[in-house]
Amino acid sequence: MLVALALIAASPPEITADALRARYREVRLLTADVVQVKEGRFWARPFESHIRLRYTPQRVTWETLSPVPSTVVIEGGSLTVRGPSGEYRELAGMANDPRFAALLRFLRALLALDLASLERDFVLDYGPGELVARPRPGPDVPLFTGVRLRFDRDLELVSLELETASERTRLTFHHVRHEPAPPRPGTPEAR
Amino acid sequence: MKKTALLLFVTAALALTLRGTTLEDDPIRSLSHPDPVRAALFDRYQERSFFRDRVFVETGELTPAERERIAEALRAAGYREAGLVERPSADKILELAPLLPAEDVRRLVEEETLARRAREALSIAMLPGADTYLRELQDDPIGLGPAVLERLVGPSAASAAGPLLHGYRSPRPLDYEQVGRAYDLLVGFSPRVHFIGGDFFALENYRAVKHDILVCSALSLVLNLVIFFCFTGRWALLALLFLGSVVSYLVGLLAIRAFYTEVYALVLAYTSTFIGFNNESLVHLAGIEATRRRRSLLGIWSAIGTTFIGFLVLLLGRSTMVRQMALASLGGMIGFLLFLVPYRATLATVRFRGFAWPKLTLRPRWVAATCAASVLGLVIVGVPPVATRIEGFRYQTPTLDAQVAYFSRQLDALSLEDVVAVPAAGEPGDAIAPLAAAGLLDAARHPLAAWRRPAEQEETLRALRERYPMAVARLTALLAESGIRIVPAAAPPARLRVLDAWGYLEELGSLGPVRWADKVGGQRFVMAGLRASAHPPAIAGAIPVSPRHYYDQLLTALSRELGWLFLAGLAVMAIYLVILQRSASRALYAFAPLFMAALAFAAWARATGSAIHIVHIMGFSLVIALALDYTTVAVSNDHGDVELSKILLTGLSTLATFGVLVLARHPVLHELGATVVIGCGVSLVFALVFRLPPGDEDAP
Repeated sequence: MLVALALIAASPPEITADALRARYREVRLLTADVVQVKEGRFWARPFESHIRLRYTPQRVTWETLSPVPSTVVIEGGSLTVRGPSGEYRELAGMANDPRFAALLRFLRALLALDLASLERDFVLDYGPGELVARPRPGPDVPLFTGVRLRFDRDLELVSLELETASERTRLTFHHVRHEPAPPRPGTPEAR
Repeated sequence: MKKTALLLFVTAALALTLRGTTLEDDPIRSLSHPDPVRAALFDRYQERSFFRDRVFVETGELTPAERERIAEALRAAGYREAGLVERPSADKILELAPLLPAEDVRRLVEEETLARRAREALSIAMLPGADTYLRELQDDPIGLGPAVLERLVGPSAASAAGPLLHGYRSPRPLDYEQVGRAYDLLVGFSPRVHFIGGDFFALENYRAVKHDILVCSALSLVLNLVIFFCFTGRWALLALLFLGSVVSYLVGLLAIRAFYTEVYALVLAYTSTFIGFNNESLVHLAGIEATRRRRSLLGIWSAIGTTFIGFLVLLLGRSTMVRQMALASLGGMIGFLLFLVPYRATLATVRFRGFAWPKLTLRPRWVAATCAASVLGLVIVGVPPVATRIEGFRYQTPTLDAQVAYFSRQLDALSLEDVVAVPAAGEPGDAIAPLAAAGLLDAARHPLAAWRRPAEQEETLRALRERYPMAVARLTALLAESGIRIVPAAAPPARLRVLDAWGYLEELGSLGPVRWADKVGGQRFVMAGLRASAHPPAIAGAIPVSPRHYYDQLLTALSRELGWLFLAGLAVMAIYLVILQRSASRALYAFAPLFMAALAFAAWARATGSAIHIVHIMGFSLVIALALDYTTVAVSNDHGDVELSKILLTGLSTLATFGVLVLARHPVLHELGATVVIGCGVSLVFALVFRLPPGDEDAP
C-alpha cells in the first residue's frame, strides 16, 4: 500500500493547456531564483550561473549574481545592460533587429506562460509533467529548435530547457513566487 | 421568350468566363515613364525602398498591452515583423571600414573598450538564445560594423527610429478584411500611434471603390427606372436596359481581359456608368417611326459614331487605366448593340410620351458667332494650366494625410523626402555642388560628407592592419576567462581597400534601402535629397526619383498627352459629322455647347486657381461621347418633339447616372461625375432650347 501511494505521489501530473492557463492567467509578478547551465559551441565547458529573475508584464530583469554580476533589463522592446562596474548601456541597435525582437517576445511569452503567444511560433505537446514546444514549420529559420518546460504537482515551473542550433540551456527554478498567488489545482478558481 | 432564355444562357457563360478576374487596387501602379532612363532610374531607386511591400508602425505612446494588440492584429492579417531595413551582413559593412577615421579604430582596440565589450558580451550571453549574438561577435570581434554604421547614419538615426518603430513585411495577396481589422485598430489608437504603408492606401482605395460600386450602381439603377417609367410607362424597355447593361458590362470586362490579366477596381466602378451610354442607344433605336426612319438613323449614326471615336481615341493613351476604361466602354457599347439585335421588333413597338416646349431659333451665323465668341473668350481668359498631382488621383483620408505628413517630416529630417538623380560627368561631389551652392541641398547631410580622402583611408587601413590582430587576441582571451569560446579571424579581411567616391556610394547603396549612385544608359547619376523648400522640376537635369514628384510629373505629362488625343478626337469627330450631316453649320451646331462648356470651365478654373487634371480630360472625352449625341440627334431629326423628348429622357438618365458619381468617395469618380454632369447639362439645355431654322435642316 505504501509503495503504491509512493508511486502515485511520484507520478508526474498531467499537464493541460486549460490547467496552465488557469494557473498562470493574469500574472502581475513572478520572481524566482534560477540556476542556469549553458553548453554548446561558444562555451568552453558547461557554464553555470545563478540568476535572480523578476518578471512583470512591463519589464523583465535578468540579474546574474554569479560568477560575474550583471543585469539585463528588457522593457518594452528595449534592452539595457548593466555590467559589474555598474555602467548602463542601452542596446538600441540590437532592439531594432527583428531576430532580437522575436527573442525578447519569446522570453516574455515563456515567462508569462502565455500559451497563445507561444503557439504562434511553436507546436505545443502536453505530456505528463511537461510541456514540449517545437518550432512550427515555416520559411524562417527558427531561433529555438526545441523547448521543454517541466512542472511539479502544483503546476509550478521546475525547469526549462532551451535548444538552439549551437547551444543548450537548462534553467532550474527555485523559490518561485507569483502575484497574485495562483489558485491551487483542483480548487474552483483553478477551473 | 426563347431568345431571352438564350441570352440569359450567354450572359451566364460570359460571367463564368470572367470568374476569377484579378483586381488591381492601385491605379498609380499602372503608370510608367515613357523615357526609359527616367523609368529605369525611378524603378531601380524604388527597388529597395523603405515602403515597398512593407508597413511601418510607431507605437511609442502606447502601453505594452496596446502594442501587443496591434502586433497581434497585424500578425493575424499576415504581416511578419521585419527590420526597418534589411540587416546587412557583417561582411558588407566591413567593406566600408576604411571610412572610419583612424582614431575611431584606435579607440575600438583600446584595452578599456575591449574589456567593456567582453563584459557586455558576457551579460548578453547569459540570456537564453544569445548564441546568435556570440556568433556575430565572432564575425566582427572589435565591433567595426556598429562603428561604421554609427559614423555613416549617425547615432541619432539608429536610436531615433528606436525600438518603437516596427517594420512589417506585407502579405501577398492582401486579405482586405484582415488588413482592415488591423488598420481600424491602428486608426482607433491614432494619434498615439503612427503608421504608414502602401497597403493602407490600397485598403482605403478598396473600401472607397467598393462603396462607390454599390452606392452608385444602386442609385443609378433606381433613378433610371423612375425616369424611364415616367417617359414610356412600360417595363419592357427597362428590362431591356437592365439586362442589356449586364451584358454590356460583361462584354466590356471581356474586352479588358483580352488584353490585360488584371483589371483596375476603379475601372470596374466606372462601368457602373454604362447605363448612361446604353440608355442613349436604347432610346434612340426604340420607337423609330417609319416616316422619319432616314432622319432617325442619321441621328443614331451621328451619335454612335462620335461616341465610338471618343473612346477609340482614349485607346491611344499610354495610361493602362485609361486604356482599360476605353476598352470597357467600346466592348460595353458593342455588347449592348449586339444585345438589342434580337429585340428589334420589341423596340419598334415602343412609343414615347412627347413633350412640347417653346424653342429659340438660332441662325447658323449666330451659332458660328457663339462658337467664335467662346474661342475668343478662351483666348482672353487663357487656357488653364495642365497639372495632375498624385493626391488627386488616389483616395486619401484625413487620417492617412496626417500619417503621411508625420512620416514626411521624419524622412525630411533624413533628407530622403525629395530625392533627385543628378547626372554626373566626373566626381559625384562636383555634380551635387551646384545644388548645394544654390541652397537646394544640405551637403553636410549627404552621404558624401562621410566619405574620406584616399590618404585618410590609407591611414585607417594601416591602423587596422597593425592593431586588429592584437585586439582580437585580447578580446578572445578576456572572453575565454569567462568561459566563452569564440574563434574569430586573426587579421582584418584582406579585401579591405581604399574606396573612391563612386565605389563608396555604391557600397553604401548595397547596404541600405537607398541607392545613392546609379548608371543608366551609360550615364552616371548621383542621388541627392533636397531641402523641403526645393522644387525638383526647377533643377535643370535633375530627375525626381521620390514617388510624389515623379508621379506628379508623369501624370501631368499623361494629362497633356490625353489632352492632345482629346483634341485630335474632336477633329476626327468634326470631319465625321460634316461628312455625315453634309453641312458645316449643322456640325457647328452640334459642337456649339462644347465650346460654351469649355469657356465656362476655363473661367471657373481661372477664378478658382484650379488646373486641368487628367480626370477632367477623361471627363471631357465622356462629355463629347455623350453630349454630342443630344445636338446631333436633335439637328438630324429637325428638332421634332418626339426626338427632343427622347433626348430629354436620355439626358436626364445620363445626368442621373453621372450625377450619382458626385456622391463617390473616390476622387477620380467624383471629379469624373462632376465634369460630365456640368458638360452634359450645358449640352442638354442647348439641344432642348435652341434649334436651327428649318431651311438649314434639309441638307441630308
